[in-house]
Amino acid sequence: MPALDFTASDALTFGVELELQLVNTRDYNLAPDADDLLRRATRDAPPGELKPEITQSMVEINTSVHRRYAELLTELHATRDVLAGHARKMNVAIAGGGTHPFQKWSERKIYPTERFLSVSEKYGFLAKQFTVFGQHVHIGCASADDAIYLTLALVRYVPHFIALAASSPYYQGVDTAFDSSRLSVVNAFPLSGTMPFVRSWREFNHYYDRMFGLGIVASMKDFYWDIRPKPEYGTVEVRVCDTPLTVDRAAEIAAFVQALASWLWEARPEVTADIYVTHSYNRFQACRHGFAGTLVDPVSGSSRPLADDLRETFDRLAPHISLLGSTDAFAALDRVLAEGNDATWLRRQYAASGTLPDVVRHQAALWAA
Amino acid sequence: MTAAGFLPHWPPAVNGFMVFGLLLLAGLCGGRLAATTRVLPAITGYIATGFLLGPGGLGWLDESMLAQARVIAEFSLGLIVFDLGRRLDLDWARHDRWLLPMGLAESVISFVAMFALLHLLGGIDTLEAAVAGTVGIATAPAVVLLVTYELKADGPVTRRMLWHVALNNIVAVLGITVLLPFIEARAEGASWNPVARSLWIVAGSFLLGYVAFRVLALLARWFGKSPGPQFILTVGAIIVTVGAAQAGRLSVLLALLVLGVCARNLDRDHRLIDVDFGRAAQLFFVFLFVLAGAALRTDQFGSIAWLGLAFVVARAIGKAAGLFALAWPAHISPRQAATLGLALTPMLGLSIGMTQPIYAVAPEFGARLTAVVASGVAILYLLGPIATRYALLRAGEGEPAARD
Repeated sequence: MPALDFTASDALTFGVELELQLVNTRDYNLAPDADDLLRRATRDAPPGELKPEITQSMVEINTSVHRRYAELLTELHATRDVLAGHARKMNVAIAGGGTHPFQKWSERKIYPTERFLSVSEKYGFLAKQFTVFGQHVHIGCASADDAIYLTLALVRYVPHFIALAASSPYYQGVDTAFDSSRLSVVNAFPLSGTMPFVRSWREFNHYYDRMFGLGIVASMKDFYWDIRPKPEYGTVEVRVCDTPLTVDRAAEIAAFVQALASWLWEARPEVTADIYVTHSYNRFQACRHGFAGTLVDPVSGSSRPLADDLRETFDRLAPHISLLGSTDAFAALDRVLAEGNDATWLRRQYAASGTLPDVVRHQAALWAA
Repeated sequence: MTAAGFLPHWPPAVNGFMVFGLLLLAGLCGGRLAATTRVLPAITGYIATGFLLGPGGLGWLDESMLAQARVIAEFSLGLIVFDLGRRLDLDWARHDRWLLPMGLAESVISFVAMFALLHLLGGIDTLEAAVAGTVGIATAPAVVLLVTYELKADGPVTRRMLWHVALNNIVAVLGITVLLPFIEARAEGASWNPVARSLWIVAGSFLLGYVAFRVLALLARWFGKSPGPQFILTVGAIIVTVGAAQAGRLSVLLALLVLGVCARNLDRDHRLIDVDFGRAAQLFFVFLFVLAGAALRTDQFGSIAWLGLAFVVARAIGKAAGLFALAWPAHISPRQAATLGLALTPMLGLSIGMTQPIYAVAPEFGARLTAVVASGVAILYLLGPIATRYALLRAGEGEPAARD
């Protein structure tokens, strides 16, 4: 049985994966053009990596590893410009957002790689329903045990990530009343949820060996957890964010996760198994209500609006923000907190235009701007 | 008066409704039979049904019945051509500077190939060869759209195919209109200026399409974006445009293409929604192709079939040459160019759309033209839909099982 080796990396380096929507410019439904777009765009060798995703209307951007927010943002802008240029030549558009507002999942086509075909075989209709779009943030960890600690310590902030990135109020043609409906799709997978409460990499390896031995998983990729260690990269991967409507927001959210990791490793607040008592409830509140959701503290028993806790968290992170050079990112996140997240923006577009294809048209224009 | 005078005559007189309904039902059955082969598109079944029932087959449908049905055929074609016009996104040509040159290359090279074959090898008169070559530029919009719907095809090749079809139809209509004065100059008894007539057709059709768009956009602004009213508005605008083009002796095809192109490109405030004709369109598709099949005759496959076959081959080579010539700079893969070329195979029947003005002004010339290209048309009725279906499936953009 293969033991999981954790490849240590430089602490607080970070990178982003973004899953993006390909839409046609006629009725703004999803367009199955991933193959063609990847073929054309890789000729220009943009920074980072471009990859296919589970269905043919999705592409994924993987950035290089960075230390500073400004570098990450510059790379994301460059990659976006390459992709947007090729998309225009193909008469398709690219949009952010955690879900496509009105696509029908049954019409999607699985991208024909061995892995995606096996996911389709294993999960049936869930595979096509997985045509949802997320942002993953990787944070570099100096050791495996640091990664385990961070994976657990970040659980408290899952609602914060969800609310800041929420951009999937519409799904299958209706307003779901959620700010982030995407995670409801992820919840259907049997290995979604959270990492078990383990204290060390040794304990984690023991758990993994057991799951491997039982034939439930073949690799770490089979765990669809909200936050998981990524041993081959030497990172912790935060996977709960919807893909925001702009690459700028994606970089800002990555800067938030980076600053949180910096503070958590320095302050080392104690993490107990109690975090899981209220986790599902808090997570639901953030998905459903965004910043207006309630955050329940399992230890003190107190409840407060998520927005208040976010503001307090931003204040607590202030020294780390300036050290990491992320002041601009947090200024932008302060505005999000005051003016509303991407879900609010999408609902405003719908109120103004009256149709979901118009919403996607505005979404695509915003992404390329 | 007899005691049973209230009863109808026996056998009862066939009326338009019966013809329409029976053609629909028979066509649907033929389509289903074709679909069960898993190789043929349903459209081949519709055409075969029409051929079987028509004068070329069992003769159950005679010319008078077909004439009654042509009004609905015109409307069906109107829906299709409008839908095609909506696919011609001019913004796309602005971003991809090879798109328009590629479309023009495909049109021009295929024209040259067909003209050279007919005139130089086939010994056909210059003007007849030029008109036949121009008609051959156009890919049949109804065939490609129906196969696209049937396979639920979408993707780069499908999108590019529809763009090319819209463009090559416009090129062909304009080409025919340019040649019209020369045809008329040969026809006897024309008392008008042939050039003026060409100008009237082109300018009038463009103007009609544009005015229809303006009216449509104005009404859409009033009615808002509800799909129900917008569906009726769009269909209403199409019917009026068909009628006005006929009344004004304009090109129905060009006017509706212009209406569709304007709806796509000039609707800056996005007042119009992308109305899905859905099942209504399918109904008319069935009817259109049964009628098209009924126009086929067995003698079209007879003595001049070799010329028809050569015409089909020259056309295909010309289209492929145009596409391959510019594929590299346009970032089109060889596989995409090949499937695109194949998908553009279907060709219009002479009885519908494009050649109407020729028959109107010079029926004798029209008859000779029919003799030249009829066998090519007949061959492409059979091969065209199959080629488009195969091409889209090879491009990985359609689902063979996606039948309604």
